[in-house]
Amino acid sequence: MTSLQIEMSITAIVSFILILIFLKRSSLSVKNSLAWLLLPLICLIIAIFPEPLSNFSSWLGFETPSNFFFLIFIGVLFAICFFLTISISKQQKIITKLVQEVSILKNKDSNGKRK
Amino acid sequence: MQNPKILLIIPAFNEEKTILNTLNLVKATNYDYIVINDGSTDNTANILYKNNANFIDLFSNLGIGGAVQTGYKYAYDNNYDIAIQVDADGQHDISYIDSLIEPIKNNEADLVIGSCFVDKKAKSKRSSKIRRIGIRILSNFIFIMSGGKRVYDPTSGFRAANRKTIALFSEKYPLEYPEPVSNYELLRSKHYVIKEVPVRMNKRAGGKSSIRSWKSAYAAFNVIFSILILSLGRKKYD
Repeated sequence: MTSLQIEMSITAIVSFILILIFLKRSSLSVKNSLAWLLLPLICLIIAIFPEPLSNFSSWLGFETPSNFFFLIFIGVLFAICFFLTISISKQQKIITKLVQEVSILKNKDSNGKRK
Repeated sequence: MQNPKILLIIPAFNEEKTILNTLNLVKATNYDYIVINDGSTDNTANILYKNNANFIDLFSNLGIGGAVQTGYKYAYDNNYDIAIQVDADGQHDISYIDSLIEPIKNNEADLVIGSCFVDKKAKSKRSSKIRRIGIRILSNFIFIMSGGKRVYDPTSGFRAANRKTIALFSEKYPLEYPEPVSNYELLRSKHYVIKEVPVRMNKRAGGKSSIRSWKSAYAAFNVIFSILILSLGRKKYD
């Protein structure tokens, strides 16, 4: 194993454990954690078996395997960000509705008291 | 329509300077009203409370679309036949309400826009030249996109809606730049009729337009983009 492989393995394992800790504290929902758990797992597999990745990346025409690796990871992060934005938009709608309904109820309540 | 139940919807965000004046004018008309305080950070809520106004206090700022929609929801829940949006800053002349609701009473329109550009003789002091040009471009854009239906003042926030439109708006209403976007949505639907009536608008007595000058380019882009997306067939109204 090269030193790079060892560093990458350690980083992957540490981030995996960190994510698990957050999951255990339930500050992260299981549904939302899957994408984040997959990332260090993929890193770990690549660190232990780098051959398939370097073969595949040179077959695709990348100069170095790291370039290919970076590109894939940017793509994955982009996807996660995008889906996060979608869920923010959804939640904004829900919050708007919530604020409206609660405030209307409060108005009804205060009108009742006035009478 | 005999004796329709009429509600004035008055959205207010940081309007402490003008809200009392508007409130007194509205109270003098004997129409029902609801003020929507959109999470104001100034004294607006206090003033409303002290003057025993009928108001909904949104505990978090939703922006103009969310605030006005709250009014439409209130109108829907309380079985109003006509709901009229009136700005809290005194820009809209309440004496025009009768001409605004006339087409709805006669079943001629589902939404009536109070416009200061219909009657070309009545020169408006309301807006800057740049703003007028922007509104004209927007009007032409909507004209093209809706297949030849003209609204001269698509940004006017002085509008009256009948029961059918109230039901629609309480269900679905654009959060940002709601007037031009919702006007366009109604225009492209076969089931709604929009009419414009001439009104005179006052210079705003205080406060700022929700479309501020340095933001207006962005606003225009946003509106045009929203309309383009809608024209792609995003959740139609009909």
